[in-house]
Amino acid sequence: MAPQMKGLTQFIMDLRAAQDAAEERKRINVEVSNIRAKFATSLTSYQKKKYVCKLIYIYLLGLSEEVRFGLDQAYDLLSSSNYLEKQLGYLLVSLLLNRTGITPLNFVQELIERTQTHLIRDLRVDSDDINILALLFIASNFNFPAVGHQKTVIITNTDPTAEFWQELIPLVYGLCVSPTSTNLVKKKASVALLALLRLCPSVLITNDNWIPRLLSLIDDTDISLILSAVPLASLLTEFKPSYAKAIMPSVAQRLYSLVVDATCPSDEFYYDTPSPWLVIKLLQLTEHYFVKTGSSDSLDATTVQSIRLVVSRSIQNALVPRLAQTSRNTHSAILFQAVSILTYLDASPDALSGAVKALVQLIDSQETNTRYLALDTLIKLVARSEAKIPFVEHLEKIFTSLHNKDISVRRKTIDLLYIVCDEMSYTQIVNHLLDYYPSSETSLRASISVKIALIAERFATDSTWYVSSMLRLLSISGSTANPNVRIDGVLEGEVWERVAQVIVNNEDLTIKACKYIVNILRKSSGAPEGDSLMKVSAFVLGEFGYKLAEQSNSENEQFGINSQFQILYDSYFTSSLLTRPLILSAFLKFINRFPKADFVPDIMDLLEVETLSLDLEIQNRASEFLKIATFLVSSNYEDVSFAKSLLLPLPPFENKENKLLRQLGSLALVNRSTSSFKRTLVGSPAPNGPDNSENFDEKSNPFFEDEAPKPLPLTPNWYGGYHRMLQYDAGIFYEDQLVKLTYKIQRSGYAYTISFTIINNAARNSGATISAFTVSDISTDNKGEYIVNLTKTPDLTITDRSSMEFEARICDIVENKCGPVISISYKCSGSFNSLRLKIPISLLKGLSGTTMASIDDFKKRWVQIGTLLGVEEGELSGLLCAPHRYNCAFLASTLQRIGFAIVQKTPDNPGENIMITGAGILKTLKSNYGVLISLRSTDLDAKAFQLTVRATGAGLSAIMFGLVQEILSLQN
Amino acid sequence: MAIQYLLILNRQGKTRLAKWFTGSYNEEERQGLIEDVHRLVSTRDLKDQSNFVEFHEGKLVYRRYAGLYFVMLIDFVDNELSVLESMHFLVEILDSYFDNVCELDLVFNFHKLYMIVDEIFLGGEPHQMLKKQVLRRLEYIDSISL
Repeated sequence: MAPQMKGLTQFIMDLRAAQDAAEERKRINVEVSNIRAKFATSLTSYQKKKYVCKLIYIYLLGLSEEVRFGLDQAYDLLSSSNYLEKQLGYLLVSLLLNRTGITPLNFVQELIERTQTHLIRDLRVDSDDINILALLFIASNFNFPAVGHQKTVIITNTDPTAEFWQELIPLVYGLCVSPTSTNLVKKKASVALLALLRLCPSVLITNDNWIPRLLSLIDDTDISLILSAVPLASLLTEFKPSYAKAIMPSVAQRLYSLVVDATCPSDEFYYDTPSPWLVIKLLQLTEHYFVKTGSSDSLDATTVQSIRLVVSRSIQNALVPRLAQTSRNTHSAILFQAVSILTYLDASPDALSGAVKALVQLIDSQETNTRYLALDTLIKLVARSEAKIPFVEHLEKIFTSLHNKDISVRRKTIDLLYIVCDEMSYTQIVNHLLDYYPSSETSLRASISVKIALIAERFATDSTWYVSSMLRLLSISGSTANPNVRIDGVLEGEVWERVAQVIVNNEDLTIKACKYIVNILRKSSGAPEGDSLMKVSAFVLGEFGYKLAEQSNSENEQFGINSQFQILYDSYFTSSLLTRPLILSAFLKFINRFPKADFVPDIMDLLEVETLSLDLEIQNRASEFLKIATFLVSSNYEDVSFAKSLLLPLPPFENKENKLLRQLGSLALVNRSTSSFKRTLVGSPAPNGPDNSENFDEKSNPFFEDEAPKPLPLTPNWYGGYHRMLQYDAGIFYEDQLVKLTYKIQRSGYAYTISFTIINNAARNSGATISAFTVSDISTDNKGEYIVNLTKTPDLTITDRSSMEFEARICDIVENKCGPVISISYKCSGSFNSLRLKIPISLLKGLSGTTMASIDDFKKRWVQIGTLLGVEEGELSGLLCAPHRYNCAFLASTLQRIGFAIVQKTPDNPGENIMITGAGILKTLKSNYGVLISLRSTDLDAKAFQLTVRATGAGLSAIMFGLVQEILSLQN
Repeated sequence: MAIQYLLILNRQGKTRLAKWFTGSYNEEERQGLIEDVHRLVSTRDLKDQSNFVEFHEGKLVYRRYAGLYFVMLIDFVDNELSVLESMHFLVEILDSYFDNVCELDLVFNFHKLYMIVDEIFLGGEPHQMLKKQVLRRLEYIDSISL
C-alpha cells in the first residue's frame, strides 16, 4: 500500500470530528476557498494530488457544485507525466463533468470533445501504464449499455463529434489485436472497445473485417483474457449473427475442458472451481445463441455433445455436498446457468427429470439464496421446455416452500405451481392454494387468486368443480381479490367478472351456480361476505335465480325466490358501495320475474331510501329503478311491456379474451428473453408472450444500417482450386505456406459431401502449430437454390492435420458462380490469418450419364427438346476458343468426368474434325432434367469449337454451356 | 447484461463508494438511487431473506459485511450467485490489500477504492478474478504512484 497523504487524512478527520452539519460545512467552505487560492499559484506534484483528493472527498459528500471549479485543474493533470497525477486527473474529470440538465448524448459529446486529444496521446504513447489509464477511462465513462427503459446512446456518422470517435476507435482496436500488446493491455482494450462500438456501431459496418480478428481473442490460451473478451464477442456476434455459429465449437470446447475435464492452470481456480466466472459467461453466450436460433440444430454433433456433457456434469457437481459456502455458491451458480440451456439441447426425458430432481433437491437447501434461485430456474426450465415434465412426485416438496420465511421465495413458489400445473395435478394444486390463501400475505393474495382462476378455467373439464372452486375462492378472498384497482376506482379484469362471464356463457352451469351461491351465503349468514362473492352472487341470482326457484319445489324452500331475496337483502347494508348497485339490479330483475311476490314492497322501500343515497351511482340507479319497478307492478299493460323491454336477459359474452392473463406479472418476463417459448401459458397466446421482434435477422439488428457492408475480397489464388473442384471430385483446393486444403467429393443424387483435409504446412516448414482454426462464415447469396452446411467442424488446434465436411444439396437450377464463400481464420506463430475461398456449387455435381442405344436415339431427343422448348429456351450454341490444342480423347474424358455419357465421338485422328455428343440426367431436389451436348471443332487445329447444349429446363442450357466453357477454357 | 452500479454503504446510509458502470444516470438520479437502495436493503432480514431483491428494472444483489452493505444492481438475465461471489471476491481483495479491512480504511483511502474496483470490474463485467494477479497488479500500481 502506498503511503497516505497527511493533509488529506487530517482533513477527513476534521470533518468526522465535526459536531454538526453546520460545523462540517464551515470546515469545507474554508477548505474550498483555500484550494481555489492554491490552484491559482504554482503547486508541487504532492500538493496537486492532495488538493485534488480533497476535492474528490468533498464531491463524495454530495457537494458537487462547490467543487466544479476543479475541472480545469483536472484537465491540466491529464497532460502530466506523473502517473498518479494523471490517474487522479482522469478520476476527477469523470466525477466532476456535469451530467445534470443535459441528455446523455450531449454529455458524451462534451466528454469526447474535451478528452479526445488526451486519450489519443495516452493511447499512442509507448507505455502500458499510460495506455491502461486511457483505456480504463474509456471503459468506465463511455459505457452506455441498453438497460431497461434507458435508451442506448448512439453516435451516428453525421454527429458533430463523429470524427473524434473515428480517430479514437481504431487505436483501441489496434491495442486489442496487436501482437505487441501485452495481455493486460488487450484485456482493458477489449472492454474499452466494447463500450465504444456500442456507442458508434457504424464503425463496425465500415470495418467488418475486424470481427474475425477480435473474435479470435476468445480462443486465446490466457483464460483471464477470454473472460474480458467474451462480452465483446457477444456484441460482435449480435452484430453479425453468422459469426455466432462459428465461435460455438470453440466455446463448447473451452467449456468442456473447464467443466468436464476441470483442467485449467491452478491459479485460475476460485476455491475448488476452475474459473467459475468464465464458465458462466460462456454458458450465457451459449444460451444467447440458442435463444436466438431456437435450438441446437444448426450446430455440429460434436459441439452439441460437448455442451450436453457440460450441462450434465454441472448438475452432478451441484449435487455433491460441500462444506464451504463459496464452493456451494459457485457450483450452484453454474448449475442454474447450465440448466437454462438444457431445453435447447433436445434433452432426453431422463436428462430433464434429472435436472428437475436436482433443482427440487435444492429447494430444501439451508440457504435462502439457493432456494430462491432453484425455484426461479425451475420456472425457466418448465416454461421453456417443450416436453412435459412430470411434477406430481415433487408437488409436496414445492408446497412446503409456500411457508418459507422469505416472501420472495413464497412468491416464486406460487409462480412455479402455476407453471407446472397440468391435467394430473390441477385439482391438487388449486385445492392447496385455496387452503393456503387465508394464511398468505396480503400482498400475495392478488397473485394467488388470479392464478387459481386461470388454472381453474384452463383445466376445467368438470364445470361443477370449476364453479365450486371459484366460488370458494371468492368467498375466502373477500375484497382482496381485486388485483388491479385503477386510480379512478374502476376495477379491471377482476376474478369475479371472469367467473360471471363463464357462468353466463355455460347454460348448464347457471342453476348449479345459483345453488352453490345460496348455500355459501346461507352458511355464512351474519358474517360479512367478501365483496367479490357478493357481486357475483347478486349478478348470478338476479340473472338466473328464477330458474333455480322454478326448479325447486316447496320442500326445498331454501332455494325459493323468497329465500334468495332474503339472503341478498340481509347482505345489502353490509356490502360496499361498489357492490350495492349490483344488488339493486338483481332486485329489479326479481320484480321483473315475480311482480306479485311478497318482497316487492321491501324492494320499493329500499329503492325509495336509496334515492337519497350520498353515492351518485346508487342514487341514480335507485331513482331510475324505482320508476321502472313502478311500471312493472302497475296494471297498465303498456307500462309493463315498456319496462320489460328494458330488462332483457343477458346475451352471452363475446369477448373471449381473459383479462386476468395480463396480471401474470413477473411470470410473463420468464419468456421475454426467449423467442422460442413453446408452451403457452393458457392455451391461447399470452399477451406478454414471446417477443417475435427478436428475429435472427440482420434487418432487425439495431446496429444494421442501410449501407450494406462491402463483401471482402477473396483470397488470391482461390480460382485454381475452384476450377479444379468444378470438374474433379478430389484434389488440392488451396495451398499456401501455412496451410493446405485437399478435398474429396462424394455424390449421391442431388446432394454431395465435400470432405476437406486441412494440412498444417507451417509445421513442415517451421514446426509451428495452427491454432484457433475456425470456419467463421459461410456466406451465400442464393435464394434457396442450394443449401450448404458445415457438418463437421475442424479441430481448433492443428498440429498436423484435421478435417472438415460440408454437405451441399442442389434444390433448383443454380446460376454459375454464385457458390458460397467460406471464411476461415486461424493463428499461426503469432500472426492472424484469414482465408476467403469460394466453393463451386455446380449443377454438374448432380449430373450423371444416361446411356443411349445409338446416335439415332440422341437425335430423336435432340429434336424433341427443340420442338418442346424451342431453340430460344432449350438450346444454347456458341463458339469456344481453347487456350491450346485439345484432342478428342481428352475432350471426351473431360465430358465423362463431369458427368456426361458419351454417345458418339469421332476417332482420335489429328487432321480430322472432332465431333462428340454426350447425354446426361441432371438431378435437383425439385426436378430432374435431361441434358444433351454436342461439341464440334471448327478448324483442324482443334482450338476452336462449336458447343451446343440442349436441356429440358428453361435457362438450363445456358448454364450448362457456361460450365463446360469454364472448364474447357480456364476462363474466369 | 452487466452490473450497472456498485455501492458500498454503511448501516446509516453513508456512501463509502459509488461506482457507476453506466453513464446513463445524472447526479440527481444517482443520489436518489443510493437512498432508495439503502432504504430497501437495510430493512431486509439478513437471516431469512435471500441476498437478491427485484429493484427498478433489475435485481439488487447485496451482502452485509460487518457494518457495510455491498450492493450491485444487475440485469434480470444475469446470474445472481456468480455476482454475489464476485462481490465476495472484491471483499477478499480489500481484506488482503488493507490487511484486515475495516470501514475506516475505506474512508481514508476512498481514492484508492476506485483504482481497486477498476482492476476487478470493468465496464460492469467481472474483469480480473484471480486473486494473486489482482494483488500483484495493485502492488505494482502503488509502486509507480509516486
